[in-house]
Amino acid sequence: MEIDRIDGRSPNQLRPLACSRGILNRAHGSASWSQGDTKVLAAVYGPKAGTKKNENPERACIEVIWKPKTGQSGKQEKEYEMILKRTLQSICILTINPNTTTSIIIQVVQDDGSLLPCAINAACAALVDAGIPLKHLAVSICCCLASSGYVILDPTKQEEEVSVFL
Amino acid sequence: MPNQTIKLGGGLRQDADVITVMKAGRLRFLKPNKYWVESSQKRYVPRVDDNVLGIVVDTKADNFLVDIKGPAIAFLPVLAFEGGTRRNIPKFEAGTLVYVRVVKANPGTNPELSCTDASGKAAEFGPLKDGFMFECSTGLSRMMLSSPTCPVLEEFGKKLSFEVAVGLNGRVWVNAASPATVIVVSNAIMKSESLSSTQQRIMARKLLEKVQ
Repeated sequence: MEIDRIDGRSPNQLRPLACSRGILNRAHGSASWSQGDTKVLAAVYGPKAGTKKNENPERACIEVIWKPKTGQSGKQEKEYEMILKRTLQSICILTINPNTTTSIIIQVVQDDGSLLPCAINAACAALVDAGIPLKHLAVSICCCLASSGYVILDPTKQEEEVSVFL
Repeated sequence: MPNQTIKLGGGLRQDADVITVMKAGRLRFLKPNKYWVESSQKRYVPRVDDNVLGIVVDTKADNFLVDIKGPAIAFLPVLAFEGGTRRNIPKFEAGTLVYVRVVKANPGTNPELSCTDASGKAAEFGPLKDGFMFECSTGLSRMMLSSPTCPVLEEFGKKLSFEVAVGLNGRVWVNAASPATVIVVSNAIMKSESLSSTQQRIMARKLLEKVQ
């Protein structure tokens, strides 16, 4: 049974992807990642000397700051920061530069669904641009369960809002 | 492949039996057995025997603290100068630009620098006065120091007289008699990162026509 998505895509089809590296002048690494209309800008600074108080000095520390498009940072942003931090800690080689901090700042430029995966992809591209040693590259995609019982990939904001499960 | 000892340089890492790559860049090979990944970054990874441009941040009893754009701040021992003794310690203020050589660079510790070459002579290391310092990527510094001479520097060297110090950590210092020369040389170097050698010569010639 063909499912009708608003923009005419098939359930497994992604929106057009675009990525640019090295766009910010002052950041040590930067990338912008867009999936359709969702666009996220990631900047990497570091590694810089010194870790935060609770972190292990034998390993490098990763700090994530998520800036929403409008308004203050709230609980949703803190949750995104934590998820990103755990993901990036698993792909970075933390033992190479002990006792340093790498800061990653995510700025949401436009949000049209599938925001967190777009940010993970942008952060990974920015880390590669900055030359931070990585074990693997991180790739992520968003899928949601539509009300008709189908799983669709890369939903837009409208599809996310009517979905049963994200 | 028969049993061989391979030396892995920067950007490569050995994980039990597998050799994986850590950074994006070009894989280079030097006979007989050296492999490394050449990449161009804004930050610098300190390596022994690199000539870098550092900025003095602070003075301690035994060391100057020098920033070389790496993960940790570097130490320049107060006695690491030609003919350096406790009586004639140079006075560097915060913000002095120094041309130094990396002596020790281990992953967990602060790198150590020196203002003498391997045999103990000064060899143009030391503070740089006047002139203009700008930052570039490590790939551009490597290209400027490679042989044959970088096309931009060669073309400008035929008509203008200037002094240039290139640090492998992505810092370049240019000095000349007139500010106009300094500006035109610095701008040309900054623009030449993505150009091929013919394009660099054409750009250098166009700029020279405008200046003279």
